[in-house]
Amino acid sequence: MNFLIVLRKELMEQGRTWRFLIVAAVLALFGLASPLLAKLTPDLLKSIPDMPPGLAEMIPPPTLTDAVVQYVKNMNQFGILLALLMSMGAVAQEKERGTAAMMLTHPVSRLVFLLAKFTALAVVFAVSLGLAAVGCWYYTLLLFEALPWGPFLALNGLMLLAFLVYVAATLLCSTLARSQGAAAGLAFAVLLLLGGIGSLPRLREYMPGRLFEWGSDLVLGGGDPAWPALWVSLGLIAAALTAAWLIFRRQEL
Amino acid sequence: MPPEEIQQYLPFLIPILILQLGLMVAALLDLLRRERTRGPKWVWLLVILFVNLLGPIVYFVVGRKDE
Repeated sequence: MNFLIVLRKELMEQGRTWRFLIVAAVLALFGLASPLLAKLTPDLLKSIPDMPPGLAEMIPPPTLTDAVVQYVKNMNQFGILLALLMSMGAVAQEKERGTAAMMLTHPVSRLVFLLAKFTALAVVFAVSLGLAAVGCWYYTLLLFEALPWGPFLALNGLMLLAFLVYVAATLLCSTLARSQGAAAGLAFAVLLLLGGIGSLPRLREYMPGRLFEWGSDLVLGGGDPAWPALWVSLGLIAAALTAAWLIFRRQEL
Repeated sequence: MPPEEIQQYLPFLIPILILQLGLMVAALLDLLRRERTRGPKWVWLLVILFVNLLGPIVYFVVGRKDE
């Protein structure tokens, strides 16, 4: 029943299976690469041999904005991809292997089991995104200028929240599915659904995808806050975890 | 910016390359020590070596089979 003991086991598992390392390495890599890519892109474009004369002069010099835009874009893509990949097996794989049944013969309630999984993944993503943020901040300082650290912190907090929506949704899929592959398929469908809703003009204000935009607006100035997206995201996380628990509670292992 | 000036940014690439290599080496070590993988081992070797960045990640996530 002890949440902390189960959480500790989950975190050790994340380390032992190299998952912690993968998420940290990939996000840190893009944290460093984003400002560098922003800095070098205009020069790389200019070095294309058959560039028509005059066009090269039209490419604007890179700015701080490009670095932030690049960072948010890469975190958006790879963060969500990793959220899916790292969470899809969380419950399904333990059901496949039979370790869930073994674990739950101990007095661990299924709620604790699920919450520990979610919290462990949240820790993995928070630490990894923290590393990426430090890397991005430092490279941006060297290549451009210092980013305002308060808004930059807020940007990363909002991105973390968006990742956790996908972690929670994938955990739900992992609970529903009998196998890891099926969980991955389901989670991918959810990803497309959330992305689809997020591109509708009226509804996008309420979707987690809007958090990335809000975050970069905070750093670069301009734009409106998107509190509805924040509340909806928190609500989605709570709803996905509750649904996962209600289903998991009745499931034969 | 002439090529000489682009070169001044090369040191910035080193940590990025180290991270990428680190992932690849970790995946290779895991592959070599593992007795069974999902699908043939030599395919995973090629995937890890030649699919940039995503290769090692995909191997870690779906390639491994528990012993």
